Amino acid sequence: MGEMSVLLVDDEAEFLEILVKRLKKRKVNLTAVTSGEAAIQMMKESPADVVVLDVRMGGMDGIRTLDEIKKIAPLAEVIMLTGHANVEVAMAGMALGAFDYLIKPVQIDELLYRLQDAFKKKSLQEQRERSQGV
Amino acid sequence: MLKLLEYLKEALFGAGEQARSPQDVEQLRTAFRARYHSFKLLLAANQKALETMSDMERALVGARPFGMTYVKAACTAVSVNAMKIIRHLTELAPGRYEELNARFKAIQEAIGAVLASRKPAAGDRLVVPLEEVDKSTVAETGSKMANLGEVLKEMNLPVPGGFVVTALGYQRFIEHNDLQVEIDRRLQSFTGDKVDDLHGLSAEIQQLITRASVPEDLARAIQLTHARLERALGAGVRVSLRSSASGEDDAGVSFAGQYRSELNIGADHILEAYKEIVASKYSLHAMSYRFNRGIADDQVWMCVGCMAMVDAVAGGVMYSRNPIDDRDSSIVINAAWGLPKSVVDGSVTPDQFVVSRSDPMRLVEKTVRVKELKIVCDPEEGVVREALLEEESSSPSLTDEEALRLAGMAVRLEGHYGCPQDVEWVMARDHSFYVLQCRPLQQVACGLEPASVQDVDRPPIVGGGVTASPGAASGPVFFVRHNADVLQFPEGAVLVSAQPLPRWATVMNRAVAVVTEQGSVTGHLASVAREFGIPALFGVPRALERLTAGLVVTVDADRRRVHEGRLGQLLTATRRKNLMEGSPVHDILQRIARCIVPLNLLDPDAPEFRPGRCQTLHDITRFCHEKAVHEMFTFGKEHRFTERSSKQLVADVPMQLWVINLDDGFEREVEGRYVPLDNIRSIPMRAIWEGMVAIPWQGPPPVDAGGLMSVMFQATVNPALDPAMQSSFSNKNYFLISRNFCNLQSRFGFHFAAIEALVGERPGENYLSFQFKGGAADFSRRLARVVFVSEILGEFGFSVALSSDALCARVEDP
Repeated sequence: MGEMSVLLVDDEAEFLEILVKRLKKRKVNLTAVTSGEAAIQMMKESPADVVVLDVRMGGMDGIRTLDEIKKIAPLAEVIMLTGHANVEVAMAGMALGAFDYLIKPVQIDELLYRLQDAFKKKSLQEQRERSQGV
Repeated sequence: MLKLLEYLKEALFGAGEQARSPQDVEQLRTAFRARYHSFKLLLAANQKALETMSDMERALVGARPFGMTYVKAACTAVSVNAMKIIRHLTELAPGRYEELNARFKAIQEAIGAVLASRKPAAGDRLVVPLEEVDKSTVAETGSKMANLGEVLKEMNLPVPGGFVVTALGYQRFIEHNDLQVEIDRRLQSFTGDKVDDLHGLSAEIQQLITRASVPEDLARAIQLTHARLERALGAGVRVSLRSSASGEDDAGVSFAGQYRSELNIGADHILEAYKEIVASKYSLHAMSYRFNRGIADDQVWMCVGCMAMVDAVAGGVMYSRNPIDDRDSSIVINAAWGLPKSVVDGSVTPDQFVVSRSDPMRLVEKTVRVKELKIVCDPEEGVVREALLEEESSSPSLTDEEALRLAGMAVRLEGHYGCPQDVEWVMARDHSFYVLQCRPLQQVACGLEPASVQDVDRPPIVGGGVTASPGAASGPVFFVRHNADVLQFPEGAVLVSAQPLPRWATVMNRAVAVVTEQGSVTGHLASVAREFGIPALFGVPRALERLTAGLVVTVDADRRRVHEGRLGQLLTATRRKNLMEGSPVHDILQRIARCIVPLNLLDPDAPEFRPGRCQTLHDITRFCHEKAVHEMFTFGKEHRFTERSSKQLVADVPMQLWVINLDDGFEREVEGRYVPLDNIRSIPMRAIWEGMVAIPWQGPPPVDAGGLMSVMFQATVNPALDPAMQSSFSNKNYFLISRNFCNLQSRFGFHFAAIEALVGERPGENYLSFQFKGGAADFSRRLARVVFVSEILGEFGFSVALSSDALCARVEDP
C-alpha cells in the first residue's frame, strides 16, 4: 500500500483548521476544502483515497457531494463526519456507499483508524481488480 | 468421463493448489485478504454497535441525565454500524442473506416512527381569554394557565383577568420566522461539554428569538384581546406575562422559576415581552433543567399567560401541606410586602404562618421576619425594589384573620385538585386575595426521626434558618455570587449564596447541598432542591461570612446546622433522585431500545436462527457475526485453498481441535494438515490455550461440574468428529486466528460455547466475549449453571446478559 491521501471537506473553517492540524501532526497527507463544489473539483483534478465529508454545508450538501464523488471516483472511500446525528441522513449516506458516518465530537485516533480502514479497503479492492485483470 | 476423472483426481489428490496456476493462487490470496479485511471491519462495527447498545442500557437504568441529542446520536451510531455489518457480511457472502436488508429496513422504520413523533400544536386559536380556559384546554394553553382557568371557572376563586397566547400561537411565531430548523441545527451541532459553552449557545438562541418578528395575525389577536381586557378593567391596564409551557407544573416536574416572567407591562410593549418569555425557553437554566429532567426540547410548547396586574399590598406562596414532612397536614404560608416575586425568587426571607387543619382552623405558628425590601410596580413600567422602613419591615405582612382566610383557600384548592397544592397569591389594596398560580406540591418524606437525633460534639460553624429540602450531605464550600460562578461550579460542592435565586438551579445536578442567607421553604429554588433530592438550608444568618471557600463541610439540613469536615454519622443515604426515569426522553429511548437491544437469536443451531427472525438490531448483529465467522471458516474449504483451510492442532492434550489462520496467526506457513502448537503466533489463542491447559486433564470432568470445561471436553474428545473434510462447521471445535484475534467455537450436542478476543494496537477496539448456551441437563440445572458462570464472569469485570439458559458476556478495553 502506498501513502494514503485524504481530502477534508467542511464549511466550518475553524473546525477544519483544528482537524488539519491534528491529522498533519499524525503525518497524514491531506488537503482541505470548505465546500462540496470545491471537493468535486479536487476529486476531478487529483482524486484522494479517502474523503472526510461534512453533512451539512452551505451550497452543495454532504449527501449530494458524496453522490458526485462516487460517480467520479467509485473506489474512493468517503467518511461522513457530522455534528448532526440524524438516522435518516446517515442511512441515505450509507446507502450511497459512504464507508462510515461518524458523529462529532470524534476522537482524533478514532478518525485515524477509520481512515486507515477505509484506505486499506480501497487498496485491497484495487489489488483485487488488478489481479482479476479488470 | 471427464467429470469422473476430475472427481477421482480430487478424491486422490485433494485437488488443492497442485491443480492451480500461481496466478490463481495469488488471486485467491488477494480475495482472502479482502475478505479478512471485511471480516475485521465487521468485527469492529459489531464492537461499536454492542458498545452503543450497552451505553443505551446504562442510560436507561442509571441516573445520568441525557437529552434527545444523545438519543439521536446513539440511534444513528447503532444503525450505521448494523448497516455496516450487513454490508460486510454481504461482501463475504454476496446474495446469501438478502432478507437481512428487509428486516433492517423494517426495524429502521420502527425507530424512525418513535423519533419522528413530534405532534402539531393542539387547538385552533392563537389567543384564548382566561374565562374560556379550563383543564380541558391544557394542551392548548399549558398547564399553568389551564389550572388558573379552572380555579376561576370551576371554583369561582378570584383570579386576575387575562388571556393565553396558545401553543398554536407559539407554533405560528416559530414557523413564521423559520426558527425551529435553526434552533435544532444549533442544538444538535453543539458539541461542548462545559456550562460556559452551553451559556453561549443559550444566548445565541435567545437572541434569535427576541430578534424575530411576531406575525401579523398573532400580533393582531394579542392586541385585540388586550383591548378587550382594557374595556373590562379600565384603559391603560398593565399586565404580567408568564410562561405556561406544556408540561410545566405537571406533577413531579416543577420547572419552578425556570422561565421568565415580565411584570407590569403596558400595551405598547406586550409583543416584546411575549418574545422575551418565549426566548426564556432557551435560558441556560431552562435548558439545563430540561436536560436533567429528560424533557425534549420539541415537546415544550411555550404558551404565555397574560394577566392584569394586581396593585399588591402583600403577596407570597402557600403550601396546602408541609413540603418537607409528609406526615404534617398544616398549611404553610409565606408572605412579604408588595408583589410575591420577592418570596419566589428568594430575595427576602418572608413571614411564615402555619395553620392547623383543626375545625375551626387555627394559627399555630407565626414567625415575623425583618423584610428589608419589597417589590412593587413602577409607575412607568416594570417593577422596582423599594427598601422598607424599619417599622414596616418588621411588621407582619398578613393579619391572623388574613392568614386563616388564605389557608381556607389552600384547603379548597387541595380539595378540588385532590392533591397538595403550591399556590402563589397576592393581596390587593382592598385586602381581597387573588390566585396567581396553583400547581401540585411535591411533598417529601420527613428524613428526621427526633428519637434518633445524635448530637455532634463539635459546635456547628453556622446554624438556624429553615429546612428548604431535607437530608444531610458533605462537600467543599463554593460561593455563588454571580452568573459566572455558576459556570465554574464544581461537581460535588456545597452551593453557598446570599439568595436562593431560581437561576442557581442550573447547578442542581452538580451541587450536593445548598446553604443561603435568605429565602424560604416556598421559594423556587427550594422546590427544585427537593425535586433533585438535595439538602437545602435557607435563611442561615452570616453563612457567607463564616464559611470559607473550599472548606469541606457537612450540611445537616434536617437539624439546621453546618459543621466543619465530613461527618459520616450525619450523612443521609444518597437521596439524589433518578429524575430521568419516567421522563419523556427516557420514554423515547426506552421505546427505541426495544427495537435495538433485546437479543432473541440465542442459539445459532436453532432453526429460527435466520434473517427473517431478526426482530432487533442486536439480532441482526448477532446473526451477521455468526455467519461471518462461518463464511471465514468455509472459504478455504470451498475454494480448496489449503493455505486458508483448517489444520488440526498438534498438542499434548487429549483433544481434537482445528485452527484456521486468517492472516498472520502462524509463525510459519503450514503445508500439510497439521499445525503444532509452537507454530501458533496468535496472542489471544495462546492466552486462551494457557487457561485451558492450566490444570492437567485426567479425563473428562464430571458432566455437571461446570459449563465450559465440560462442553469443551466432550466436544473435543469425540472420535466421531474426525478431521477436516467430512464434518461441518456446526459440530466441531475451531480456532479462527490471526496474530491479534482469536475466535473459538465449540459445539457438541446441545451445547454451544464461543470465545472471541481481539487484542490489537487500537485501544478501545479490544474485547473479550464469551457465549454459552444449552447443556443436556434439565432446564433448572442449565439455568443454575449459567447463573453460576455469570457470577464468576461478573467478578472478573464482564458485563453479563442472561436469557433463559443462554449467557453472553463481554469485557472491553477500559
